[in-house]
Amino acid sequence: MKTTLSRLALGCAAAALTTTAVQAQDKTLTISVYSFAQDEYKEALYDPFEEICGCDVIVETGNSVERMAKIEANAASPVIDMAVISTQDALALARKDLLAPIDSTRLSNFDKLYDSAKDPNGDGMAVGYTYYASSIVYRSDLVEIESWGDLLSDELAGEVALPNITGTQGPLTLMMLAEALGETGGYGPVISTIGEHSDDIVTFYSRSSELVQLMNQQEVIAAPVGKFAWGSFKEAALPFAWANPKEGQAGGMNVMIMTKDNGNEELAYQFMDYWLSTEVQTKVAEMQVDSPANKEVVVSDEIAENLTYGADVIDNLNIMPAADVLDQREAWVEQWNTEVIQ
Amino acid sequence: MFRNTREGLALALPAAIFSTLLFLVPVGILLSEAFRFEGGWSLQGYIDFFATPLNRTVFLRTLKLGALVAGTAAVIGYAAAFCIVNLEPKSRGTVFGMIVLPLMISPVARTYAWIVILGRTGIVNETITGLGLSDTPLRLLFTETAVFLGLLQLFLPLMIISLVSAMENIPRDVIPAARVLGASWLAVFFKVILPLTKEGLVIGGTLVFTGSLTAYITPAILGGSKVLMLETLLYQRVNVSNDFVSASVIAMILIVMSFSANLLLKKIASARS
Repeated sequence: MKTTLSRLALGCAAAALTTTAVQAQDKTLTISVYSFAQDEYKEALYDPFEEICGCDVIVETGNSVERMAKIEANAASPVIDMAVISTQDALALARKDLLAPIDSTRLSNFDKLYDSAKDPNGDGMAVGYTYYASSIVYRSDLVEIESWGDLLSDELAGEVALPNITGTQGPLTLMMLAEALGETGGYGPVISTIGEHSDDIVTFYSRSSELVQLMNQQEVIAAPVGKFAWGSFKEAALPFAWANPKEGQAGGMNVMIMTKDNGNEELAYQFMDYWLSTEVQTKVAEMQVDSPANKEVVVSDEIAENLTYGADVIDNLNIMPAADVLDQREAWVEQWNTEVIQ
Repeated sequence: MFRNTREGLALALPAAIFSTLLFLVPVGILLSEAFRFEGGWSLQGYIDFFATPLNRTVFLRTLKLGALVAGTAAVIGYAAAFCIVNLEPKSRGTVFGMIVLPLMISPVARTYAWIVILGRTGIVNETITGLGLSDTPLRLLFTETAVFLGLLQLFLPLMIISLVSAMENIPRDVIPAARVLGASWLAVFFKVILPLTKEGLVIGGTLVFTGSLTAYITPAILGGSKVLMLETLLYQRVNVSNDFVSASVIAMILIVMSFSANLLLKKIASARS
């Protein structure tokens, strides 16, 4: 009898252990991220995190519209636990009540972030994980750029590409052109001015990869672009330079968000905290994938040159409030389509 | 062939179910969006679309470029097809193969080739500046001309193939007979060749026109955002604005334009005969 009981107890213990092991393997975190540099993220972030948490990280990629649509379509039963998106997309989702507030006390690395990354939208629904500066890339052998206003100068007529208003860089360019042109009454007059120069603009690009090609083929010699694309220009045979206009650089940030009632908050916080850690942010920065939002990250001068890096740079970025973009984008696009594209 | 109609229907059933469930139903749902407005059925989406000046410009540009490409392809296609059908059988196969060859190359590659050709440092501009016709390179990319050339190069083989097939069916002695009876080449074309190849023209014209309307890569690369066409506008509506109603309206307009072109060409062809 004793033997039978012992065997039974042993069997139960074994079953319990097996169940625990299976449960650990069954833990999954589904994240929605931008498509680029997934090999680097896998090496620096996903694989190490899976080892730490004993879980599986399911990565979903796509463009912002697709990813936001998926979050919205599954609002009742979220299939995405956390996502990384732009500040304006985060605000759009927050306004639709699709996000959970970020509890900063559950992020041990929160205090290491630059102040502007801690609550970029001021609603407690997002936390910044990377910055990007935006300035003008130009052919240093052909032209000198000292101001954002130079983009509309006679000297550069027929030599410039501008970002389309529908992308991230478009509104930033409007903001800096307004600064250069001394416009203080909104961006409507700036769009009108671009419209007057429309024939002098070679094209309005949508993706930075398009611009890299245009500049390498010498179709244009100057254009605004995000610093994240600078690496592609540095490797080119032509002499490209990164402008430091007198109005300064524009800038933006991508943020982490967590979907409302996803039921996987603990793992999501663990993952977000790991991503914000000095270790991961340094690795990702050294791979030149993302510029760090963690102010403790230290990289070499060579790496820093390709990133939006350091307090001096980040504190001086002209960052457009997400609400401005979200509230006015439709009017901008309409005016743009009427006065610039048409 | 079949012992009863049930056998035939049974064989067709899997394909019918597949097409209905995975094509017709989703497309129907998508297109029905174009008639939905504030919970009811309405044409408001179309009224809103055509009320916008940019949309009207894009619609007319798409129609114009589609017609221009189809018309030019027909002119070039007739000349090419006439030459091909009069070649020796061995040479005919070689030439025909060369015409079909571009269809086996990705449209992306073919379109990117135009960037190299039409760019500021491309062969066209180097020739122009080399001959002293212009001091500075001309702006050829991101113009309607660039989109027209790209679309023509993309779809011309379809027109030639259609017309070659049609011309091969013309009896060999018909054209010499017309000539012997004193018809000029122009009269031979309009009174003999055109009526006898109208089916090929309708098929080729529909393929080229529809292809030009629905091409995305070529207008996107060679026209950019300055030469928007309906297809690139549709992409913008979905991927930038997340405006599926407007995108459905554009999709419906494209379908109507394609069917209308086919009907119009058939009507023109039947009127001639």
